[in-house]
Amino acid sequence: MSESGPSGRPTRALHLEDQHGAHAHSAIPYFLVWVALLFFTALTYLTGKQHLGTWALALALTIACTKSLLVALIFMHLKDSSGTTRLVFATSLVFVALLLLFTVADVATRFRPATPAGAPFGTERSQPEGLLEHEVPE
Amino acid sequence: MSHEASAGAGARLPPGILAHHFSSLSRQNEAMQLGMWLFLATEILLFAGLFTGYSVYRFQFPEAFAACSRHLELSLGTVNTLVLITSSLTVALSIHYARSDRPRAAAVCLVLTLLFALTFLGIKFVEYSAHFHEKSLPGKYYAFEEVKIPGAAMFFSLYFLMTGLHGLHVVAGMSVLSWLLWRTLQGRYSSAYYTGLELGGLYWHLVDLVWIFLYPLLYLI
Repeated sequence: MSESGPSGRPTRALHLEDQHGAHAHSAIPYFLVWVALLFFTALTYLTGKQHLGTWALALALTIACTKSLLVALIFMHLKDSSGTTRLVFATSLVFVALLLLFTVADVATRFRPATPAGAPFGTERSQPEGLLEHEVPE
Repeated sequence: MSHEASAGAGARLPPGILAHHFSSLSRQNEAMQLGMWLFLATEILLFAGLFTGYSVYRFQFPEAFAACSRHLELSLGTVNTLVLITSSLTVALSIHYARSDRPRAAAVCLVLTLLFALTFLGIKFVEYSAHFHEKSLPGKYYAFEEVKIPGAAMFFSLYFLMTGLHGLHVVAGMSVLSWLLWRTLQGRYSSAYYTGLELGGLYWHLVDLVWIFLYPLLYLI
């Protein structure tokens, strides 16, 4: 692991030295991010409470992703991290997206007999066409 | 990462920090950061499994999930969100103070973080007690009178799995932060070296990140 990170990246080392030389890190960004996180939490709370319907989930997830991005970039210093570190984080997100996308795509395209008992969703619409009503097991 | 092993910084470096197989402190720090992020990636994927299970059952039982979600104590969930966000701030500040050579301020911030973590667990305990009381429990233990539709027990299975695993991470994070507090009080972290503290902070921020998603998905359907 000692070789994979810094190997062949002289520009990175220079960049680090620059930062050390400047020594200009302040606590203000952390407080700004904190205020932004409080604001977004209030936004989630106020919009979530109204149960907006179709777009409620998309809105909630957009706000959550924005909050996470702020935490990752500023609190977790991903903004100043090396490319390797960012690659690790981005790769994990890609695999999370793959996992969610294909699993939800599977569930969304099932026909009635393949859904659990009592599940109200995806019944008529996803029922295969050639199948008569009495052939569909309950 | 301002800890290049320059002459000035090297003077204050505590002994035994730089391992012999690293050519410089900056390379060691880089490797430590990368290792920690690899671990965090596995943590993200661990929680992603539960979030996927959640997606499947929310997709199949939208009414049950909405009904159960509205029986959770929204005010407590919201307060816990604010508590965790603020604890993330105090951890970030403790690292900031450590690298500014103010170990006492760093220690105070870590103590505040631990207090916020305890508050979070206390509120979670109040919520769990209510669930045990009204029998809104997972699987066959589900006997909640107010929601009796298919999928309701599944919501609470996922609720307990997700908040339970998250709660375990809070406890683990508290142990790590307590140890880091001890090291900070010993004066181990300064502008010359603070990577250990930074990595502990990363873990705590991940705990916060998971909750940022749990809050709207469980409490605000």
